[in-house]
Amino acid sequence: MNKKKLWISLGGWFEERLGFQAVVDFLRKKKVPQNKHTIWTYTGSAVLLFFVIQVVTGIMLAFYYKPTLEEANKSVARIMTEIPLGWVIRSIHFWSSSFMIAVVFVHLLSIWVIKSYRKPRELTWMTGVFLLILTLAFGFTGYLLPWDDLSLSATKVGTDIPRSIPIIGVWLTKFLRGGEDVTGDTLTRFFSFHVCLLPLGLLFIIGIHVYLIQKLGMSLPLGADVEKERAKELPFWPNFVYREMIVWLIFLGILVSVAVFFPPSLGKVADLMAPAPEGIKPEWYFLFLFQTLKIFPAKILFMSGDTLAVFLILVEGILFFFLPLFDNKPAELKGRVITALAYLFIIYAVVMTVWSLIQ
Amino acid sequence: MKMKGTKNSNKYLILGLLALWGINFIFLTYGFSQTTSSQEKIEQSLAQTKPEKIIPSPQNIKESTAIYVFVGWMWASIFILIYFLKLKIKESDRLFKLKFFSENK
Repeated sequence: MNKKKLWISLGGWFEERLGFQAVVDFLRKKKVPQNKHTIWTYTGSAVLLFFVIQVVTGIMLAFYYKPTLEEANKSVARIMTEIPLGWVIRSIHFWSSSFMIAVVFVHLLSIWVIKSYRKPRELTWMTGVFLLILTLAFGFTGYLLPWDDLSLSATKVGTDIPRSIPIIGVWLTKFLRGGEDVTGDTLTRFFSFHVCLLPLGLLFIIGIHVYLIQKLGMSLPLGADVEKERAKELPFWPNFVYREMIVWLIFLGILVSVAVFFPPSLGKVADLMAPAPEGIKPEWYFLFLFQTLKIFPAKILFMSGDTLAVFLILVEGILFFFLPLFDNKPAELKGRVITALAYLFIIYAVVMTVWSLIQ
Repeated sequence: MKMKGTKNSNKYLILGLLALWGINFIFLTYGFSQTTSSQEKIEQSLAQTKPEKIIPSPQNIKESTAIYVFVGWMWASIFILIYFLKLKIKESDRLFKLKFFSENK
């Protein structure tokens, strides 16, 4: 039997059992719109790419990482100094999380501006907001794991913020910390969230999100001529996938290059008794919230400034989540106020982030 | 016939490049699963030095060379793969316009 025949018969054997052809046929029939908004659809698959990179590098780091008070910082130092290429793997993991959060933000904001969340895609939007929350939670829990002075202080500040929420605030802070203060229990708790709970949650929500995209298809620009748009559509497989592969390759190249040339450092081991170092700041994606909390005065009328700030951020978060229910106009009608709000939010987030960085 | 041959050689070249890239990455990261010294020795050396801040960098000239060669080679592979992907896009768009895979062609 020659090589070609062997491959064909082997392929046939698997095809008979797995039925991949049905999937290929489905993907070939699935169409992707080609219009001025198509560029934003690539950000969705880029999120998946970064998630896969996070999982792979995270598993590699977990080979050596030890989530205990005594060993956490030492094991990260060992990964960076003793394990061959450990610093690169850690750096890729670190940068990939930042890239993933940035791409999730861009993806969600683009959906907000082009209003793809309108009927019947309300649930797609809501699962997308969940994905953003889970991705931010990944970043927050992962930040403590190196257990250095900066990560300890940032976690103390971060876990103290929910305390201002009425009724459940104190309980939530205690739940996050595993007690009154940030201790070794917080570390193991955050590790458990980071490697078990959050990945499972993220996979579940991604599953629903992707299912909804498959079921409802991708949206068309507001007020577009449907017939004309349908004529421009391309099959998902292989036409669109080839285009996506180019985007993945470029993102992958940028990620690896940034990881090699700008690896994250590791501070000295955290001391639970030491005072917080000066000028502590969270990761860039929390800076706009951090700065918002900072600009509120200590007391406003009868309320503490922190409580009011957290309350306002929560209300805005809830409004953001339920946006499709407020903006439920027919898909072809434009919503200028919503667009203005989206741009206002982008400007606000950028200004606050820059302000916090230069302070 | 000639076109089919060119198409096949392109396919093999892409597959070859992808495989080479994968192999290179596996070789580079293979060391990741190997410890260079015993746990005790590492703990001793860490206890002796106790640095304030660890700034990561390649551990030796071999690793430094390997990593920079890999980055250069990765970008070269990316550009070549993008070139081939563009050809594949052209071809698949042409076949789609011709309704090659359509049931009612």
